[in-house]
Amino acid sequence: MPAKGEKFIIPIGPQHPALKEPGHFEFSVDGEMVTSASLRLGYVHRGIEKGTEGRNWVQALYLLERICGICSHVHATAYCLGVERLAGVEAPPRAQAIRSLVGELERIHSHLLWLGVAAHEAGFDMLFMHSWRDREVVMNLLEGFTGNRVNYSANVLGGVKCDIDARQTDAIVKGLEYLEDRTHHYLEVVTSDIMFLRRTRGIGVMTKDVAEKLGVVGPTARASGVARDVRVNAPYAAYDRYPVKLITATAGDLEARFIVRVQELFETYRVIRAILADLPEGELTVRMPRRIKEGETISRVEAPRGELFYFIKSNGSDTAERVKVRTPTLPNMASVLTLAVGHQLADMPMILTGIDPCFSCNDRMIVVRDEAGQASAWTWDDLRQYGIETYR
Amino acid sequence: MTIETAAALLSTWATETSQPEPERLDAVVPREKLLAAVQTLVDARWGYLAAITGLDLGVEAGLFEVLYHFCSEAAVTTLRVPVPRDDAWVPSVYAIIPSVSFYERELMEMFGINAAGTPNTDRLFLPDDWPAGVYPLRKDFQMEDAGADHAS
Repeated sequence: MPAKGEKFIIPIGPQHPALKEPGHFEFSVDGEMVTSASLRLGYVHRGIEKGTEGRNWVQALYLLERICGICSHVHATAYCLGVERLAGVEAPPRAQAIRSLVGELERIHSHLLWLGVAAHEAGFDMLFMHSWRDREVVMNLLEGFTGNRVNYSANVLGGVKCDIDARQTDAIVKGLEYLEDRTHHYLEVVTSDIMFLRRTRGIGVMTKDVAEKLGVVGPTARASGVARDVRVNAPYAAYDRYPVKLITATAGDLEARFIVRVQELFETYRVIRAILADLPEGELTVRMPRRIKEGETISRVEAPRGELFYFIKSNGSDTAERVKVRTPTLPNMASVLTLAVGHQLADMPMILTGIDPCFSCNDRMIVVRDEAGQASAWTWDDLRQYGIETYR
Repeated sequence: MTIETAAALLSTWATETSQPEPERLDAVVPREKLLAAVQTLVDARWGYLAAITGLDLGVEAGLFEVLYHFCSEAAVTTLRVPVPRDDAWVPSVYAIIPSVSFYERELMEMFGINAAGTPNTDRLFLPDDWPAGVYPLRKDFQMEDAGADHAS
């Protein structure tokens, strides 16, 4: 045991094969209490913003779509909408509807993936297995529709590449019936399972005021009662034709973040049905110029994790002058560092998972004793297990 | 909140304003006035700071631009701060918006524009062994400058 007043720093990271992406945290603890937290990113920084500067507008699309393997479609959508606006071109209504359709299918797969990861971190592996099994339904629909499970490449500059026929429509409708039924079950589980609620209720509370101050986005913001959803605030693609209802909660704790994401799934199912029932006829693409007029634009879309922000500048050539990307995890991650303080070390896995970080934690977790230099190593699994046993 | 409200709020601090797109306001703010402009938007609860973009206007122009994008529903207000290349700094807005830390760290390591007064200046994205004084998002950056380990 540490002597009184001695500070422990617990580095976590950067590698963990089970989670999506690496990052390195350092938590300072006083006994069980976290007193400060810091973060180091960049382990998967690939220089994509710089990469766009040496490639033409079409090549940059495929590069940007690979920023994220979970929400690749929103990146391509934000980029295409921005470049089309700069070029003074508008994709046809049918293409815009298909963009929204794929975007919502992607949201289902992302939210179900998150539900599984979060359940696993809480030690609820049956929920993890079930949600990932069910996620395969939407993965198959995406593959059948676009040809790919991830990086669907549904977008092209000026429209979309894939059309939808009656058979695919039927498959999606049928898949949604199954998923909606399962989602009712998930909602019941995350709001009634006593063991699970001990890990989520009243933990990681972020008030509306703090959420607004931190500038958090997406479900993390909405679970704290902040009415922030780009699909509602500034409809893009076809969301003006198929309006989305804003889902919020007021508790601001981890449970609220579960409820908001699961309830959002129902809204997503409804929007997909609305799109399929009223899909405009017509062309899939319009012609795009090779060189894009000089100018700047800002393109914002609602990724599964929140607002995705693109700033695009053209110098009139066939290559972008600057593409700036701000993904939703960056502002949300600031909330983790803030919320961590005052919580128990055992709550860290759930608080981190609560924002659905598009990136993650680690293989090694070393408990370093500040002065004496005595160190022992923990894995992320150890920390997870520690959290589970603390709440047993 | 609307961009008209933002334009009124910023009229004291901006040297020039324009409306490049229907829901966008661009306000050029000298760096001496940046903190006052940000404080005005924050006090009025005009949206939230969504991103900071660095722009290199090139060696010939001798200028960077740092863009502070504030979003409020559909409206986006951008504070554009011109920064000379040979005196590359902006005041840190950390004291007003503490969650800005990540954005300022990114700006510093990618462009070498110092956010003067920001508490954490550690690398966020670049490797630990990345050479000092090499800023990859500058237009005159050459891959060779990064050293053999990173250039391949």
